Amino acid sequence: MLEVENLAVDYGKHVALHCVSLAMQEGETVVILGANGAGKSTLLKSIAGLVRPREGATVDFSSSNIVGLPAHEVLERGIALVPEGRGIFPDLTVAENLFLGAYARRARKDEAANLAMVLDLFPRLAERRQQTVATMSGGEQQMVAIGRALMSAPKLLMLDEPSLGLAPVLVGELFQSLARIGRSGVSLLIVEQNVRISLSIADRGYLLEAGRIVGHGPADRLADDPAVQHAFLGAAADN
Amino acid sequence: MLTTTLIAGLVLGGTYALVAMGLTIQYGIARTMNLAYGETIIAAAFGAYLIHNTLGVSPILGLVLLAPAGFAFSWIVYGLLMRPLVRRSKGGAVLEIDSILATFGLLFVIQGVMLVGFGGNYISYNYMNFGVDIFGATVAANRLLAFVLALVIGGGLYLLLTRTRWGTALRAVSVAPESAPLVGIDADRAARFGFALGGALAACGGVVVSMYQTFTASSGVIFTMKALIVVIMGGVGNLAGALSAGLILGLVETFVASYVSPGLTLAAVYLIFLAILLWRPTGLFGKARR
Repeated sequence: MLEVENLAVDYGKHVALHCVSLAMQEGETVVILGANGAGKSTLLKSIAGLVRPREGATVDFSSSNIVGLPAHEVLERGIALVPEGRGIFPDLTVAENLFLGAYARRARKDEAANLAMVLDLFPRLAERRQQTVATMSGGEQQMVAIGRALMSAPKLLMLDEPSLGLAPVLVGELFQSLARIGRSGVSLLIVEQNVRISLSIADRGYLLEAGRIVGHGPADRLADDPAVQHAFLGAAADN
Repeated sequence: MLTTTLIAGLVLGGTYALVAMGLTIQYGIARTMNLAYGETIIAAAFGAYLIHNTLGVSPILGLVLLAPAGFAFSWIVYGLLMRPLVRRSKGGAVLEIDSILATFGLLFVIQGVMLVGFGGNYISYNYMNFGVDIFGATVAANRLLAFVLALVIGGGLYLLLTRTRWGTALRAVSVAPESAPLVGIDADRAARFGFALGGALAACGGVVVSMYQTFTASSGVIFTMKALIVVIMGGVGNLAGALSAGLILGLVETFVASYVSPGLTLAAVYLIFLAILLWRPTGLFGKARR
């Protein structure tokens, strides 16, 4: 469903990604593991159309090349991104954020059903519909961000460090929700530093290091891989 | 006397609020400070004058023509003048400074065209110029109409921005432009729309002004200044703030002119403006961030 080839991105002289290639099947949950500065966010942003990759890259999504399309067009094709820092509209209410989630043309037909699904997934949002998002806790804001992305009826939902800044209890709840979203048929591409919990809901994983894919495999194998354990799990355990 | 002054102040304040809403939308959504804003107002005032005097049509009907014209004009100005600056600056403070310089030039172009077309004389026309009795005070009907129009247009704008998806999207762009593409909003197009919507409001303001005030081809600067003061007093990008600050400004001007001295109106306006800048630098309703 998603096939990325030769994706390279540079910010001026700094090269963030070197020739990255990865592929995803429909309905799969894939996690990208890597340390800070490995290029994980850049990878998601360039798929989403927020960052323009170098010439020669292809991003095939549902059999058409979407590389170079502006972000609002990429969303229309069915790829939604929950960026690091969430990217929600802080001065607007929960209801308004979700309302805008269905701004895309593709989202209008099933808007009511999608809203019911989001409020079922995050009942807290139903209680707080008229609250301004800026006044909510980090966990609630993350629910708004994910709910808003789901309102666009995505085929592929990408999440950049969804656990960042959340209490451990909330991280568990969040990943349970993500697993539910994955089971509903939405493909998930998740960038995470929390290796253990993200691999627990993923089908496969890629290892990204200094802008290069240095390994990939099924999630259960990566979880047992000594190299992964050394590089990421060890560091996570120390935290 | 008190009631008369109060009503006159509210009428003037309603016009200021209406005019300031357009400027605050242009600044909040398109991130451009439009110094030629007042010229759009005066151009529409001349339009209303022509429509009334040569065609004999009511200025209210003129609104139907002039508001879309203001929209179209600003839409074109954004495409020709602002968009290259936006592309070059990638947003931020550079765009604000560039837009101030570019629209400062535009101000003189529009003003020059109007001076050639209409000369430098003060202009006014007679429309609904009869007294109406309100709470014992006599108020000119055209002023009353101006106030009602300001309320209706301002209220319509509020509903548009809060009740429609399109309006909510414009507000989203004004609070977090970098997040807008995440929900499929074309931020560049929204900015152009915001700028054009501000132009439509300026045109409405011009028609309203022309119904009860005299104006010349060079009065635009005064309106830009007053709108700017109202916008800063109310908090940049804040519609409710612009409404309240506009009313306050109108009331202060009228009361100072009636009870102190007409020569001190501008001084009083700037005194209040300075006090608010010192006391609440983000405006009366601005938030303490950034």
